[in-house]
Amino acid sequence: MDKLYYRLRIYRSVVGINIKEVLAYNFWFWSQIGAHVLLTIAYISFWKALYSERDTIAGLNMQQTLTYIILARIVMPLVQWGYTQEFGYWIREGTISSELLRPVDFQERIYIGHLTRTFISLAQQLIVVGSLALFVFKISLPTDPLVWLSFLISLLLGCSILFCFDWIFGCIAFYSTEVWGLQVVRGSVLLLFSGVLLPLTMLPTELQTIAKWLPFAQSVSVPVSILSGMTPLSELDSIWLQQLVWLGVMFMLSRLMFNFSVRKITVQGG
Amino acid sequence: MVPIIDVRNLGKTYRTIEKENGVKGAVKALFRPQYREKVAVHDLSFQIDAGEIVGYIGVNGAGKSTTIKMLTGILYPTTGSIAVLGHDPQRERVANARNIGVVFGQRSQLWWDLALIESLNLVANIYEVEPSRYKQLLSHFAEVLELDEILKTPIRSMSLGQKMRAELAATFIHEPKVVYLDEPTIGLDVMVKQRIREFIKDYNQTHNTTVMLTTHDLGDIEQLCSRVIIIDNGSKVYDGPLNAIKQQFGKFRTITFETNQPMTSVNLPPACEQLNLSEFSLEVRFDRSQISASQVANAVMQQLDVADFTLNEPDLESIIKHLYQNPTAYNEVGARG
Repeated sequence: MDKLYYRLRIYRSVVGINIKEVLAYNFWFWSQIGAHVLLTIAYISFWKALYSERDTIAGLNMQQTLTYIILARIVMPLVQWGYTQEFGYWIREGTISSELLRPVDFQERIYIGHLTRTFISLAQQLIVVGSLALFVFKISLPTDPLVWLSFLISLLLGCSILFCFDWIFGCIAFYSTEVWGLQVVRGSVLLLFSGVLLPLTMLPTELQTIAKWLPFAQSVSVPVSILSGMTPLSELDSIWLQQLVWLGVMFMLSRLMFNFSVRKITVQGG
Repeated sequence: MVPIIDVRNLGKTYRTIEKENGVKGAVKALFRPQYREKVAVHDLSFQIDAGEIVGYIGVNGAGKSTTIKMLTGILYPTTGSIAVLGHDPQRERVANARNIGVVFGQRSQLWWDLALIESLNLVANIYEVEPSRYKQLLSHFAEVLELDEILKTPIRSMSLGQKMRAELAATFIHEPKVVYLDEPTIGLDVMVKQRIREFIKDYNQTHNTTVMLTTHDLGDIEQLCSRVIIIDNGSKVYDGPLNAIKQQFGKFRTITFETNQPMTSVNLPPACEQLNLSEFSLEVRFDRSQISASQVANAVMQQLDVADFTLNEPDLESIIKHLYQNPTAYNEVGARG
């Protein structure tokens, strides 16, 4: 009981610290939102132009696609960057040493912090992009709380899968010490295969297969398809099961990878 | 008595990729890397008992920080074993972390953007410090480390001295049984150095904390440590009382002479040794117990047209250098290692 109490106390302060860290950069916070609004307007105009020539693309009408795209835009900043950059920074600057010296599980602590930031970002997106969709573009968002709940669960699972994937990816920094290149590769692959740019059903079949075997779709396409109504709620069971399997495998790989590569650590300087 | 820190035959070898110069070399290294092994620590053994403050010294690159990082569990040793309070720091990293506190003088463990008090609250939570005990310690530290004025300041806007006081508070707030201090006074002014030394000394006496301290500052060693371990090129070259070193080498001093005309050869009086000679300067070491500074200066000035001269206090660095250059010197001071 005591153990649990202390653990919760640690989580609470990790959550608190992360909220404060995000808010410490007020300007960054607001300029990010500004950029997202502009991009969302550009995206919507783009899709409207495409649909002016025809009624459906890959079986989706304009309203369906626009709803999907708007929702994907809401989710995108949550997954866009990951923390590979940060991971690399910790290793290159040697700050990983103080991280490893704390008497809590390193991955667990970073995970809690990462989730906090993810959900701050989600709230921020929902308010700004969501109201833009509702009031400016008159796009209807679902009202069924069950759909929202299912979306949130699926998003939580998806973000956790991606977290583990990024953890594995970040561990490469132990060997390369430079991660900027990795980050760029990750970013481009994610853009296409996560379903941020367009619904995955619009991709050629071969690319759809690749997308299925990459973890990115789990954090964008899968939850967003639930929320946009493209995936019926009756399929939830099998979707969650798939996500759980993904999570289990990714989690185990991330533990193995970290435990193995942390031995490579060479803290620079000092 | 079971030692608190027990290090046996510890070794660490880094493997780095050697690149030839230029783009060609960089490309070559990409396809057929040439590895170079560098031994940072070699066959190191020592034991430290509860309540000891041990100075761990050596020139830059001697292997001090590598050792400390292995003791804390961050780096994995290539050979040998470490036990800190019975824990293997690598395999039981979390259990070990609970017992220890670490200050790396050149990097911060605190959260850059947060006010000090926020960082301390988080650290206290992570280390599961009882809230009432935390309150008590916080007010004590605030007093001795003069934290009151900086509790609400974010770390990023602190001066070096403020940062180090903050680091110390964060390191000691969970009352660690073992503390590693890696150059805690680097770059600090005399006042702050003094405050920090007093804090460490006081804490050691009241808590019987074991302290391992690396530094380049002789003052730190003199005021805090009764025992020193000297490491050079990754190997232990001396392990014993500080007094023995001081008695042996404290009696040496050096004088640097500067001349207007190019230097000619000089006949030095007995108990003197010529260290460095360049065109316009000469450095002489002499044994203070046998000859006085004025006698040395006199003898030199009779032979040379001296423009200026300076008398230098022996510093730790030169003692270590001397020790390393004269391996027999360890026997003179009766090393126990």
